[in-house]
Parts: sequence; C-alpha cells; structure tokens
Amino acid sequence: MKIFKVKEIVSGECSGEPFIVGHKISFFGEVDPSKGIIRGYGGSFKDKVLIIPGTRGSTVGSYIIYALKEYDTAPKCIVVGEAEPILIVGCILSNIPLLEVIDFNDLIDYIRSSNGYVVYRRDLGGLVVEERYSNSY
Amino acid sequence: MNLWCTLMYLSSIEEKMLNGEYGEAVELAIRIIVKVGESLGADRLVKVNHVHISGVSYSNIGDPGLRLIEKLAEIGGSFRVFTTVNPTCIDLFGKTSIFSKDLITGQMRIINALERMGAKPTYTCIPYSIRKPIPNEHLAWGESNAVAMANSYYGARTNREGGPLTIASALTGRTYYAGLHILENRAVKYGIKIEHNIVDEADASILGLYIGDKIHGIPLVENVEAWNFYMIKEFLASAAATGNHALIVLNNITPRNTYIAEDHIENILIDRREIMDFYNKYSSTPDISGKTLVYIGCPHLSVEELKYMVDMISKYKSVKENVVFLITVPYNFISEVQQYTGILRSKGIYIAYGTCPIVSKFKEKPDKVLTNSGKALFYLSKLHGLEVSLLGFKDIIRRVMTK
Repeated sequence: MKIFKVKEIVSGECSGEPFIVGHKISFFGEVDPSKGIIRGYGGSFKDKVLIIPGTRGSTVGSYIIYALKEYDTAPKCIVVGEAEPILIVGCILSNIPLLEVIDFNDLIDYIRSSNGYVVYRRDLGGLVVEERYSNSY
Repeated sequence: MNLWCTLMYLSSIEEKMLNGEYGEAVELAIRIIVKVGESLGADRLVKVNHVHISGVSYSNIGDPGLRLIEKLAEIGGSFRVFTTVNPTCIDLFGKTSIFSKDLITGQMRIINALERMGAKPTYTCIPYSIRKPIPNEHLAWGESNAVAMANSYYGARTNREGGPLTIASALTGRTYYAGLHILENRAVKYGIKIEHNIVDEADASILGLYIGDKIHGIPLVENVEAWNFYMIKEFLASAAATGNHALIVLNNITPRNTYIAEDHIENILIDRREIMDFYNKYSSTPDISGKTLVYIGCPHLSVEELKYMVDMISKYKSVKENVVFLITVPYNFISEVQQYTGILRSKGIYIAYGTCPIVSKFKEKPDKVLTNSGKALFYLSKLHGLEVSLLGFKDIIRRVMTK
C-alpha cells in the first residue's frame, strides 16, 4: 500500500471518488458555484475529492468557495500540491477539509493508472489510493 | 482533540478569540488569519492600526460575497480597528447615469452590512488620504495601489491582502506576522536607473506598467526626487496592476529605516526605446473618433488634485459632443467636492462618488477610452475589453474640450 504524505491545512474527513484537474484553477471565473462545475470540465465535483495542483487568480475566489457550501455543491474535500491564501481562506469559511500533498504529481499519476479511489488515513499520516472491487458497486 | 491547535505563539486575548470567547465571527476570522499565517511561515500575529477592506463591489463578488458579509454581520461581527472600504459598483450620490443601476440592491446590502459592523463609509481606493500611515506601523490593507502607497511612499508595513482577509483583520485587529511586516523581507533586489525623461503622470504610468510587468522582486527606483505626488501615485498604481509589487523603494522619498538596501544589488538600466516599445503594445492610438469616454480619477482624486484640475478645465468652454468625461472621487469627500460640481456640470463633466469603472458595469460601452492612468488602461482593456489609450491630463483636455 502506498501512502502519500499530507499536511492537514483544514482538518476533516477526506475520502471518496477523485475528481482530478491537471492545472491550477481560478475559482473566480473558472468555477460555477451554482452547479459545482469547472468550466470546460465534464461533471460536477460535488461530494468528490477535488484534486488540483493549486489555485490562482482573484481573491474573490475565496467567496466562490464559500458559495459552494451555500449552493450545496461543495466537494467532500480538496487535495492540492500547494495551498495558497485564497484557497485556505475559502476552505475555512466553508469548512471544506484541505490537504496539501508533498508528492502531488506522483499521487495523480498513481490514481490515474490504478483508477482507484482516495482514502485519507489520519492514523497513517497520509492519503491512500484503494482499489475498487466489483462488489462495491 | 482540538482541531484548531496551532504552533503559533498567541497572546492570551488571541487564544480567547480562537476559543470562541469573543463570538463566532471573531473565531472564524482569527482561524483564517492563523491558518494563512501558518502557511506563509508566520510564528505570531501582529496588531494593526488601520484595515482597508477591498473586494466589496457587488459586480465582482456577487451573491457569494454578499452572503458572507451579511452572515458575518448577522452573527454579531464588529470591527475592532479603524476600517475604511474600497469603491463600490454604483455612484453613491446617484447623479451620473454612466453605470448600470441593476446592481444597486445587492450593493446597498453589502454597504449596510459593512457599516453595521463599524466600517467608515469611505468607498475609496485612496485610504491614505483619510488616515496617513506612519513609518513602520502595521496595517492590513487590500487594494493594490493603496498597499503600494502605504509601503513605498509612507513606509508603513502591509502585505497585499485579499478582500476576505482584510475583513478578518477588521474583526480581530490582527494580521499574521510575515512578508512585508518583517524588515528583513523589505530588502531591495534591483536598482533601477531610467534613461528617459518622465514629465507627467502618463509617463510615470507607462514606466509603472513596465516595471510591474518586467521586474520581479523589490526594486529601488532612482531619479524620482523631482516627481510630484500625483506622478508617484499613478506610477505605483500602474506597477501594482501589472505586477505583484507591494513595495517599490523610491530613492530619497521612501522613509529610511523602512527598507534594507545593501550595496551589492543588481542594477538595471531602462531606456526610452524599451519603455516606448512596451507602451505601444498596450495603448491604442489616442484619437477621439466614435463614442469616447474620458476617465480621470484612477486612483480616486484627492480634493487638492480635483481643485488643480478644475482650475485647468475652467480655461475651456465645454466637452466635445461625442465625449463623455468622467471623474471619480472618494465618497467621504462629498461635502468638500460639492463646490466644484457646478462648474464641472456647466462644462459637461460628470463626477461620480465612491465608485470607478474598473469595479462597476457600464450602462453603455464606449468605443474608446482616454485616461491618464496606467492602472485604468490595464484593467479596462484586460477586464472590460475596451480600446484604451493613455495621455497626460493636460493633453487630454486639450483634445477633448473646446475653447
């Protein structure tokens, strides 16, 4: 079992279906909070583990993250390679757990190749990617 | 387990804030400051003397921002420190018809919530005109041009904060001790020599846009001693628009002991050709065919600056027919400015209070914009997709007014 070490920035549970975005996003402009989608990406990140390298752009982004909770479209938690203030503020306002992963690129490669889902094990100090079994559906 | 434990050193009052003894709003606010501070390497918090809240325009922050600000007021949020506020998206005196009016309800709700928490009704991007910062005092300011002025001209200490963080600082009277709050981080990296004659605010703007875009790290700019206050203001606003600059040391102007300059810094020479090539990429040709907006007041004009301009304007008869001429000023100067509105109106010039085109929506988009501000040039072309050109104030009135 491979454990990806994390730093807990906003504490909480963080296990579920991964929703990976390969580039930094600006919550202001790129995310539609009423639908819980990233423009140009299929599907919603609602109740999933949103995995992004980081965030950029306007500080209005914090308010957009807050709006995700208001619209009930928030991801279960957010996993990033690098957490910056706009994201940290937004996650505290909306109580969305936020984890920073040290080997971010390895994590997304591993999830993509194994098609696994993500489990946060605080007892092990990191994220674990678990296999899917057919009987779990 | 207390999930909000921190390794940061906190005073007993700050501990109580974090434990919710000062109410829910303060608890949320101090969590934000502690967590952001931790991520930026702060080992403690610092008291601030003045907070300037940015990001209050309803056309920018919309319902998400409105809801949060209202919620903070509803749960009993109350500002613990002198707090001023940035421009809104509506003309707060309601006389001009240049800006869209469909945002009034949302904007007024934001204003009401902020004032309920104790904000001063300033609605301006020049908070230093209301309370002059003192060298080496700590502030928590948003608004990039104001931050650049506070650090570079007044020698105060503030990072470039986002809107929500400024609200958190107003609620707690604290910010995290990192970045430009620490003298060691205010060290000059580049010495800038300019081989180009800077004569007015438009020249200063272009140089600011250039330095903001090209120089990363704290610069020390030489040969600025002869610049007037207005040129410095436009220079810093422009540099803070194209770059992340929060401190640009102005040789012999920035107070000593508010920055560190070692002898072995790297020197950079900027010549006229470089600046003009850069300018030509940004600015379109300044002709006034078609529906033209003249915009003066980015950043907002002070009363003295307005008076100076009114004196020059009074030598002309009126604004040409295809031109809309707009000046923006702080809301809090409303009574001082009243004496000039009659003469401006007689020349066909509009004056708007507590707003600006960058953070609002036009009712009708102009074909062209003419401004003396590099910051306005940058944002009106980037954010609003307008064709903008830059000229000094004197050159502008010569072109757009009749004798």
